[in-house]
Amino acid sequence: MIDPIFIAEAALNGILLGGVMALLALGLNLIFGVLDIVWIAYVELVMLCMYLVYFLVTGYGWPIWLGGLASVAFGAVLGVAVHLLIISPLLNSAAINQFLATGGLLFFLQSFATFLWTTDHRTVRLNLPIIEVAGMFLSFARLIAFVVAILAMIGLYLFLRHTFIGTAIRAVSQDRDAMRLMGANPQRVYVVTSAVGGAMAGLAGALLIIQYSVHPYFGAAFGPLTFMICVLGGLGNMVGAVVAAVIMSEIISVGGVMMSTEMGYVIAFVLFIVMMFARPGGILAKRE
Amino acid sequence: MRALRIAFALMLVGALVLLSGPQQPARAQPQTIKIGILFDQTGPFSAAGSLNGWRGTKMIIDYVNERGGVMGKYKIVRVDGDSQSKAEVAINEAERLLNVEKVDILAGVYSSAHAVPLAEKMEKQKKFFWITIAISDAVFKDRNLQYVFRPQPNSGLFGAVSVQYIAAYSQEKLKKAPKDLRVAIIYEDGPYGAGVAASNDAEAKKLGMQVVLKEGYSVSAPDLSSLVTKLRAARADVLFHTGYNPDIALFLRQAKEQGLRVKAYVGHGAGHSQLDKLKEAFGNEIEAFHTVDPVAAQLLDPKTLKPGVGALTAEMVKRYKAEFEPNMAVAAIAPHVSMGFSNLWILLNDVLPRAIQKHGGFGPDALAKAARETDIPEGGTMMGYGVKFYGEGQPMRGQNERAFVAVFQVVGGKFEIVYPKSVATAPPILPLPASSPWAAR
Repeated sequence: MIDPIFIAEAALNGILLGGVMALLALGLNLIFGVLDIVWIAYVELVMLCMYLVYFLVTGYGWPIWLGGLASVAFGAVLGVAVHLLIISPLLNSAAINQFLATGGLLFFLQSFATFLWTTDHRTVRLNLPIIEVAGMFLSFARLIAFVVAILAMIGLYLFLRHTFIGTAIRAVSQDRDAMRLMGANPQRVYVVTSAVGGAMAGLAGALLIIQYSVHPYFGAAFGPLTFMICVLGGLGNMVGAVVAAVIMSEIISVGGVMMSTEMGYVIAFVLFIVMMFARPGGILAKRE
Repeated sequence: MRALRIAFALMLVGALVLLSGPQQPARAQPQTIKIGILFDQTGPFSAAGSLNGWRGTKMIIDYVNERGGVMGKYKIVRVDGDSQSKAEVAINEAERLLNVEKVDILAGVYSSAHAVPLAEKMEKQKKFFWITIAISDAVFKDRNLQYVFRPQPNSGLFGAVSVQYIAAYSQEKLKKAPKDLRVAIIYEDGPYGAGVAASNDAEAKKLGMQVVLKEGYSVSAPDLSSLVTKLRAARADVLFHTGYNPDIALFLRQAKEQGLRVKAYVGHGAGHSQLDKLKEAFGNEIEAFHTVDPVAAQLLDPKTLKPGVGALTAEMVKRYKAEFEPNMAVAAIAPHVSMGFSNLWILLNDVLPRAIQKHGGFGPDALAKAARETDIPEGGTMMGYGVKFYGEGQPMRGQNERAFVAVFQVVGGKFEIVYPKSVATAPPILPLPASSPWAAR
C-alpha cells in the first residue's frame, strides 16, 4: 500500500499539469469557438515559440522573462500570419479542406524546424529551487507555469467579458452570420482572435521551455492530449477546457502512482472514449 | 471466326514474349551493389543516436568506395531511407527500398520497435537484412530467421552486464551486500526498453537483489512525475533506466525537481550514450552517470586489436571530425558512430567478398551463406568483439554470439570504461557524488 503522502503529491502534481494543459487547450478552443476551425498545428506554433525563447536566452543572453514576453508577441504575430495566409482563404471551404490545410501546416512546420535547427533537443538550463512541503515535492517550474496559466486564464476571461472586441469575439462565436447581418466586419474579429490565440501559444511556449527540451517533434507529446482535452471539454467551451484539463491530468498523475504510469494514460483515454459516447458535446454540455 | 481468335491469341502471346525482353541465360554480374540504409533522419530517435548511426554508415561506404569498392571493384550505391522515428514509416521505407529502389541488401535500423517487425517482413520476402544498431532480443528470439543477421550485441547482454557491475561493487562501494540492495527498473515500453528491463530484472533476481519497482512508460509521455513519485516511495538504492531522448531528459528533470535520490544511476545506451546532448541539458550534473553500450571504437587501445583495425578507427575519427563535428572531443564521439561504421564494415569487408567469391554473387542466399560462415576472432573488429552468428537450432539464430558490451561512466566530463574490470579505464565513482542533484544524502 502506497503512503498517502505520495498520493497527495501526485494529486498536487496533477493540478499543476492541468494548469499547463488548460493553457494549451484555451488558445486552441478560443480559435475554434470563433472561427469554427481546429488548428491542428497549434502545438507546432508553441514549438516555434519555444525555439525563440531558447535562442534568445541561450544565444543572446536575454533574461527568461524577457524571452517569455518576446514569445508572447511572436506567438501573436504567428497567429495572425496563420490566419491571413492559410485560414482566411479557406474560411468558406469545406471543413475537410480546412482540416487538411492546418494538417499540412503541421508537417511543414515540423520539417522546416528540422531543416533549420536539426533534430537536436535543446534545453534552457535554469537552476530553479526545489520546493518541499510536508514531505511532498513540487516542481518550481511547473508551479510558475501553473500560476501564470491561471493569471492568463483570468486575463482572457476579463478580456472577453469587459472589452468591446472581447464582446465582439463572443458574439461571433455565438452566431457568425448574425454578426455579419448587423453590418459588423467579422474579419477584424478573426484577426484579433488569431492574435490572442497565437499569444496564448507564445505564453505556453515560454512556460514549457523551462520544463521541457524543445525539438521539431515536440507537438507529438502534447498535440493529441491537447485535442482530447478540447474535445472532452467541448470544442469552443473555455470553462469546459479547464475542467477537462484538470480531470485528465489528475487521472494521469494519480492513476500513474496508484497503478502504473502506462495505466494512468490508459484510464484517461478510456474515460475520453466513454465520455464521447455519454456526452459527445463535452462534459459541460447540456443534455439534449 | 475461329481462325481469327487463334490468330489473335498468337499475336497476344507474341506481344508478351516481346515485352518480356530478350532472355539472358547468364547475365553478367553488375559492378555495383545497392544497399538500402534505413535510419531515422527525422523525429525524436534521430538525435538519440540514429543520425550518428547513419553518419558512421555513410562514412564507411564512402571509405570503401574511395578504395574502389568491395574487393576493389564492386562500388556501393547507398540509398537512404528515413524511418522518421515511426515503425509504420520504417516498414514503408523498407518496402520502397526493396521494391522500388531494388536494393540488394537492407542495412542499418536504430530502433528495436522498427527492427522487430522489419525482421519478420524481410524473412518472409527472403531478403538479406543486416541490423547494425537495434538491440532487442525479440528481433531473433525463437524466430529461426535465415536472412537476418546482427553483429551488434543484444539487449539481454545490456541488462545483465549493468546488474553484474552493480553487484560487483555493491559491498565495496555501496556498503551493502547485493541481497540487501534495493533496485528499481524503469524503461520505455517498446521492445528495446522492455528487452533490457526484462534482462535487468532476471539478472537482479538471480543475484538476489530486491527489485522494488519495475515499470515502463511511453516514450512520448508528456509527464513522468507520477513515475518519480513511485520511485521515491519505493526507496531504491540503484536505478536502472532504459530510454531514448527526450524522455530521459524529462525524467531526469522531474526526478531532480521532485527530490528523487539514489546511490547509483545506470542508463543503457541510446539517449544515455549521447554525452553531448546530456551535457547540454544538465551540464556537469551528469557526472558519475552510467551507460551500457559496445565500446566506442576510439576508446579502445588499438594495440589490443588485430593489425590494421586501429587504423580504421583513426580513419573514422578523422572523417567524423572533418564531415560532421569538427569541435567535438574524440572521446565524446557517440558509440553509435562506431556501430554504424564498424558493423557495416563487417558486411563490406567480410561477408560480401565471401558471398561473391565463394557463393557466386550477392543475392540473399549467397549473402546468408557467407554470413553463416563469418568467424572473426575477438579483437578483429573496431569495437573489439569478434563475430560469429548463432546458427540453426539456436533460439537467437542470426545474433552475433561474440559481441560484448561494457559499462561506461561519466568521469571528469567524459566516458570511461568501468566494467568489466579487465578492460576498465578508470575506477568507478560509486555512490553518486554529493555534488549530484540525484545523489542520496
